[in-house]
Amino acid sequence: MSRVDLNHVWKIYPRGNVVGVKDLTFTCNDKEFLAVLGPSGGGKSSTLRMLAGLEEISRGEILFDGKVVNHVGPAERNIALAFESYALYQRLTVYENIAFPLRARRMKHAEVDQKVKYIAELLDLIPVLNKYPSVLAGGHQQRVSLARAFIRKPNVTLLDEPISHMDQRVRATLRARIRRLHDELRLTTVYVTHDQAEAISLCDRVAILNKAELQQIGTVDDIWNQPANRFVAYFVGEPAMNFINGRIETPQDVSIATPKGKRVIRFSGELDTKYVGAEITVGVRPQQIEVSRNKKYEASIPGSVKVIEFQGDTTVLTIKLGDVGNSEVKVVVPAAERYSTSATLWLNFSPDIIYLFDNDMPILRRKVH
Amino acid sequence: MAGVKLENVTKLYGQKMAVKEVSFTCKEGEFYSIVGPTGAGKSTILKMLAGIENITSGTIYFNSRVVNDLPPQERNVSMAFETYNLYPHFNVYGNIAFPLRASRWGLKLSPQEERRRVEEIANFLGIIELLERLPQYLSGGQKQRVSLARALVRKPEVYLLDEPIAHLDARLKFSTQTLLKEFASKYRSTIIYVTHDYREALALSDHIAVLRKGVIEQEGTPEEIYNTPATDFVGGLIGEPPMNLIDGEIISRDGKTFFKAGDDFTIQIRDDMINSMKKAVIQKDGRTIIRLGIRCEHIKASRQKTSENSFQLPVYAITHEAESSIVTFQLKDSFLHVKMGGESGFGDYNLSEMVWLDFDQNHMFFYHNTVDVSKV
Repeated sequence: MSRVDLNHVWKIYPRGNVVGVKDLTFTCNDKEFLAVLGPSGGGKSSTLRMLAGLEEISRGEILFDGKVVNHVGPAERNIALAFESYALYQRLTVYENIAFPLRARRMKHAEVDQKVKYIAELLDLIPVLNKYPSVLAGGHQQRVSLARAFIRKPNVTLLDEPISHMDQRVRATLRARIRRLHDELRLTTVYVTHDQAEAISLCDRVAILNKAELQQIGTVDDIWNQPANRFVAYFVGEPAMNFINGRIETPQDVSIATPKGKRVIRFSGELDTKYVGAEITVGVRPQQIEVSRNKKYEASIPGSVKVIEFQGDTTVLTIKLGDVGNSEVKVVVPAAERYSTSATLWLNFSPDIIYLFDNDMPILRRKVH
Repeated sequence: MAGVKLENVTKLYGQKMAVKEVSFTCKEGEFYSIVGPTGAGKSTILKMLAGIENITSGTIYFNSRVVNDLPPQERNVSMAFETYNLYPHFNVYGNIAFPLRASRWGLKLSPQEERRRVEEIANFLGIIELLERLPQYLSGGQKQRVSLARALVRKPEVYLLDEPIAHLDARLKFSTQTLLKEFASKYRSTIIYVTHDYREALALSDHIAVLRKGVIEQEGTPEEIYNTPATDFVGGLIGEPPMNLIDGEIISRDGKTFFKAGDDFTIQIRDDMINSMKKAVIQKDGRTIIRLGIRCEHIKASRQKTSENSFQLPVYAITHEAESSIVTFQLKDSFLHVKMGGESGFGDYNLSEMVWLDFDQNHMFFYHNTVDVSKV
């Protein structure tokens, strides 16, 4: 419905001069599903509250469709909001809860009825329209809250952690419902979450905030393959990316010290020669490491299985490489493959899976597939 | 360390049955989890093991010794509560050291040895820098790790852990989970672990009991619980998305047997599946009612028809995981989640597009209908 721009937006809380949001610039395009992702205290909520008009903007501009809305009140911004807590009116029926924003605008009864029925149908709430919120389960209540948020055609939909606290039994379905509503009603959605799986699950693009600053904005593929820094690389993905100390041997090779000697690993792409000899950090995602029971290549790295964690269709192995510092690597393997603790395994790093960081910044331009 | 055995243990609160005839054995050195929703009776079992709650009937053994009437202080157990229960006037060090100082264990450690043990466990759990702080200055996640450290610092006969990592943020939860598993195997500890989070139970345990309304619904290894859920309740509790559960009826035609899910789809049931199916049917209004269960990774989706048994459903929505996607299909009364990725592609479908689906019958189950799976 609307494009949203943040233009060098700051939030400075006068008490203690705390910077909540620092020079934030990004765009959520018309009909885009944008996740704002980050750890608590990263600036997500301040951003959301400024978008909603609940909090004043200290510096910079927020624009809806090119128009500055800094001084437009929350009601006039035509925003749909749904929070982690459902904030339903307990004394009103589900029907009246959903109809509330329309009644507040003195819409005619017939029109209200038609709109309530339409949104209730989309969210499978028809059977409970005459019930009171208190008799409904959490997932159901959140659907009522979503229906109320979506009943008007909003310019922008703002969702603040609407499902991360829910029971896993309803999470998958609620995610599907939210994505469906977004697509079907052709909404512009900003979705705030601390849960990287939630962000990956739903969004077209992700904006990652940490310590009040934008770390990166891009598609999940961009962020997965080209993390802007070590924080982003670590924050997105579960289990998190492994980091191992390494040394650049040639513009195309990095070496890792193991108890059985140095292993030289080729990576895709080519570094500037200035890096040769540099001590750097090698990043590898647990999902991308191949393991074998026998030594497969000259560069295979030996390790012993320390912990095995079954996850259902996959298993996470914690593999100990040696006796010295940061020498543990996590690997995700199919659950059908059985391993036992203390077994020796060989890790094979194909050139495509290598990330390289120097002082927390990436030094290798990786391909985006 | 000791083995733990429960025999027909029942707990009544007045007229209310909290735990009903629960029997299980946790062998010495085993990690045994009790998983179930809120109110299933998990914590009650743990409290009976600790001696904090009386047993209404039944027997609890530590090794071969009956402990029913032993007061808590005479059971050599170490417990971590979900509510932390830290001593507010002791700093973190004092809280963790507390069990080492209790006279009944007669440890009489030297101050140096006490400090060594406290620091070892605090270091292991990543809270070494908090030792001098008072609990009131700790976050929820820090308090929880202190509570866990206090439980693990001493070597009792049995560890009883009640949701010990539930309040940690996601990253810390996973890393602490790994540490806990490492601890368990390193010291061959007997651990009874209560959680509502199936992921913790699958990752940590040697054996799992799934508890429902005070009754064990299934007991088995994590692989058994995940791969062969005994009931629709277990299938729906474990996995994200949980097991797909679809209601339908059995139809016979031309000597062949079919599962018909309303107007949504009909599939032919392989001959070797028919026996297991027959055990699960219910007769209702002259129809043969049954519930089919299948996990999202055992359904194949494709733009082309892949077998005689393929059927079409409309795409409802597509969501993603890091290296796979979940395509949700709409049925009349429920949803069907299908996991895609790897060679089959990520399911680049349009909304409402009709897509061919194929069930892998090796991973299909039939159940009595015991839980409500209407659209959530």
